[in-house]
Amino acid sequence: MIKDMEEMLKSAANEVFATMLNMSVTFEPPDQQLQDSQTHVAGAVGFTGKFNGVIYLYSNLDFARKMTCSMLGLTDDQIEGNEMINDVVGELTNMHAGHLKSRLSDRGHSCVITIPAVVCGRDFRIEPVSGAERYAVCVRANNTNFVLLEMLVKPE
Amino acid sequence: MGIKILTVDDSRTIRLIVGRAFKSFDCEVMEAANGVEGLAVASRERPDVIILDVTMPVMDGTEMLSRLKSTADLKAIPVIMLTAEAGRENVLRIARMGVRDYLVKPFKEDQIVERVSRIVELKNRGGVTAKSKKRFDDPLKIVLVDDKTAIWDQFKAGVSDTPWQIDGLAQAQAALENIGQKVPDLVIVSTSLPDGAGFWLFQKLRSSVKTEKLPIFALSVKTALDDQARAQQVGFTGIITKPIDFTDLKLKISRVLGLDASYKYYEQKSGALVVNYPAAYNQSIANDMAAHLQEKVTEAVDAGLDKLVVDLTQLKSVDMPLIEQVLNVMKYAAELSLKSGVIGSDEVRQACTNFEETKEWLLASSLDDILKLM
Repeated sequence: MIKDMEEMLKSAANEVFATMLNMSVTFEPPDQQLQDSQTHVAGAVGFTGKFNGVIYLYSNLDFARKMTCSMLGLTDDQIEGNEMINDVVGELTNMHAGHLKSRLSDRGHSCVITIPAVVCGRDFRIEPVSGAERYAVCVRANNTNFVLLEMLVKPE
Repeated sequence: MGIKILTVDDSRTIRLIVGRAFKSFDCEVMEAANGVEGLAVASRERPDVIILDVTMPVMDGTEMLSRLKSTADLKAIPVIMLTAEAGRENVLRIARMGVRDYLVKPFKEDQIVERVSRIVELKNRGGVTAKSKKRFDDPLKIVLVDDKTAIWDQFKAGVSDTPWQIDGLAQAQAALENIGQKVPDLVIVSTSLPDGAGFWLFQKLRSSVKTEKLPIFALSVKTALDDQARAQQVGFTGIITKPIDFTDLKLKISRVLGLDASYKYYEQKSGALVVNYPAAYNQSIANDMAAHLQEKVTEAVDAGLDKLVVDLTQLKSVDMPLIEQVLNVMKYAAELSLKSGVIGSDEVRQACTNFEETKEWLLASSLDDILKLM
């Protein structure tokens, strides 16, 4: 088990949400569920090297649109299709991954991160394969919407 | 001639943020999505600065940098590296690659502007250098092209708390002549002028050297989505929808023209940095305040101040998002060893005691009283 992984996830979320989205965050246990009837957007970035894993950031489409507006200074009607939303979610995931990679590298877990991938659709879940360690936090932004931040790690 | 900046990043989001950061400056921002494209644009355009991402498909930033440095006529171009990784090892590795500077993601727009302005002199569209920005309370000339005079009156009333001058014109041809004689700071054009005249005017202004970079906002009814999509597509600087939210409009104008509005929120007074929360406080204002927080707190520390007072006296109530904003301000102040206190009305102070997060706050009704407590 990686010591303090959940704290690292929270530290990454604090920094990324405050700097890029001007949103303050609070944390809750990861038992919040996105509703299957809603469209979900999930960003994923992999880690490989002395540390192997994947970080996921996922939210419903409504909040992904809000994050896009906030990050790019747009109104909702100025969003040009899903590509723009996917790119923002991918970049936010990448920033969380970069923050974690730095912390892990400083502790001797040197690794590289992959370019982000984004999945968008309904009625899907991120689930760990057997044997993977799972760390997750629910990040509530400005006391309203939330994203789930989840790290799946291959044990050493 | 303006400065040429090349942003090389596979993320369109980052390229848009970089483009937006320099929108109010006299510079051209070119884009490339990977190292191969980046080298091609650099060879063709000879930019003054390259802002280069590290992790990209096709060719990453490290390889592009190494190829730049081994090409005789490109190696002198200064490169600012953008990286999502802040670890010691990574920072040392980047420093050894011969870059001029680096910036760790996440970053704020003013940080990238500040980094670039260390290398080249940035001037805003009016010819003023980045370091002497216009203030929000400086006079501005805004031409409003709308055939309804009631809209002119609405705008004049909406910006009556500023020294901004609104010149209303009903016809596109007359507006073109007026703007050609004396270029204003900003133009607002109704998209509902007869026969698409608003779009005609936009194209005419964009095709003239004198006004090709003039900020032009489209004014549209909120439900006229087709007009808004067309305005977005042809490249209007921004879109204002009716009914008009003038608080939001002023923030948009401020952002596009690079006006310094920070004096409205931050003030050095009686040996403390006072952070004023205005009566019209909302999320847009919160964003604007947050954008200046680091700069203003740093200035206060540089000036030898050791106290920060959050002034909530203009507010009638507080809620959790506001409390969290104030906590962020205090947290940043604490990192620079500033003591914090809060002033507010009886109701606001009472409300502040209802939150678990605020029970340690020093509270008073006036600046003098809180300074005595601190």
